[in-house]
Amino acid sequence: MSIYRKRLFDEMVSLGLASLGIIMVISLFMGAVITIQTAANIDSAFIPSYTIGFTTRQSTILEFSPTIMALILAGKVGSNIASEIGLMRVTEQIDALEIMGVNSSSFLILPKIIASVIINPFLVIISMFVSIGGGYMIAMFTDIVSVSDYVYGIQLDFRPYHVVYALSKAAVFAFIFTSVPAYQGYFAAGSALEVGKASTRGVVQSSIIILVANYLITQLFLI
Amino acid sequence: MIEVVGLNKSFGDKHVLKDISAVFETGKTSLIIGASGSGKSTLARCLVGLITPESGRMLYDGRDFLELSNKEKKELRTEIGFLFQGSALFDFMTVEENIRFPLDMLTNLTKKEKQMRVDEVLERVEMPTSHKLFPSELSGGMKKRVGIARAISPQPKYLFCDEPNSGLDPQTSIVIDNLIHEITVEYNITTLVISHDMNSVMEIGEYILFIHKGDKWWEGDNQKILKTDNEELLSFVNASGFLTNKKADL
Repeated sequence: MSIYRKRLFDEMVSLGLASLGIIMVISLFMGAVITIQTAANIDSAFIPSYTIGFTTRQSTILEFSPTIMALILAGKVGSNIASEIGLMRVTEQIDALEIMGVNSSSFLILPKIIASVIINPFLVIISMFVSIGGGYMIAMFTDIVSVSDYVYGIQLDFRPYHVVYALSKAAVFAFIFTSVPAYQGYFAAGSALEVGKASTRGVVQSSIIILVANYLITQLFLI
Repeated sequence: MIEVVGLNKSFGDKHVLKDISAVFETGKTSLIIGASGSGKSTLARCLVGLITPESGRMLYDGRDFLELSNKEKKELRTEIGFLFQGSALFDFMTVEENIRFPLDMLTNLTKKEKQMRVDEVLERVEMPTSHKLFPSELSGGMKKRVGIARAISPQPKYLFCDEPNSGLDPQTSIVIDNLIHEITVEYNITTLVISHDMNSVMEIGEYILFIHKGDKWWEGDNQKILKTDNEELLSFVNASGFLTNKKADL
């Protein structure tokens, strides 16, 4: 059991903490750009400027942090998982596990899925804060929107359910971007070329499934 | 002792193993030889349960592997050590963790006992100070040694070595062959070596099974092989220059 626990913590570090840097950089710029683009598209004097903060918050929480981050992680983590497991397959490491009587899929894939499903919602929460912080920096360092209007906008009509919805999506997407590439890697056969193809298939398939799941979850839980 | 009776395996239309029968005795190093694609690796993979044969029996000291329940198979697997062609060490583990892994998964030893066992087998393969190295830091020969150490760490009754000399220089090949042979005698285990390297492995073969195109073509020992008139075997042995060298020695 302790070896499985160690695997779980190792995977949390490699799948979660190792992605923190890229998540923060992308979220920061994403929030800043959403703020600028929203401001650029509001021409009417009848639309209050706090709408910019409101739109940045809603876009970030509902879509950008859970979905865009999932697509980015599908590329980064997904290709890593598919190639790692695929390489283990072609170098007979998975056969070695089977001969020892170890359930190789349970030993290799399950800790990755559990770790990712646990850690991804935390990454999404961090992404939300950093993204909204990116918009705040625009408000602070430019005259596009005042800081007070931006802060009022991000507090306006806040519904905690939206965060629950976003974190639920994050958990579902984490399951998809770990399990699909893991499946592709696990059944890779032959050479390094096949591992590369499996990695590509894993990323493409998981990205498409994430987009379809995003639509279904939104239709079911938000409308 | 491992006894194989009438083993058959096909992949699609290709009959890879044709009614193979053989006895591999305890305390002896047995060799399965043959050209690439002859079916020798398939035979080994059938024996350890990675591939299921269509028919036949595989008796491990009387226990028919194919008749065992999943639980019994798992128990039997704790008695099997396997050295892979590429060593198959786990990349994300150190040498020490690789060797301790089967002990963690298959035994109820205490932490101290496991550590003692790891130290003992690393000493046995003459790598006593490589505990913290990762597989990427090892040479081909060192990887084989660690692979052997991992295979013997749970004290198996049966040891399988798939092409233990592939990718090694002749000198290191002899060292690895001798190590396998010494371990077989020292621990009194049943060892099967799958190989096509005549020059080095023949030196340690006490029983040799020659497979040709999935058929059992010849069996004997490394003395009888020098007197064989089997054309296919002679052609296989001569291709390596082994027989020429041996006859010159005599």
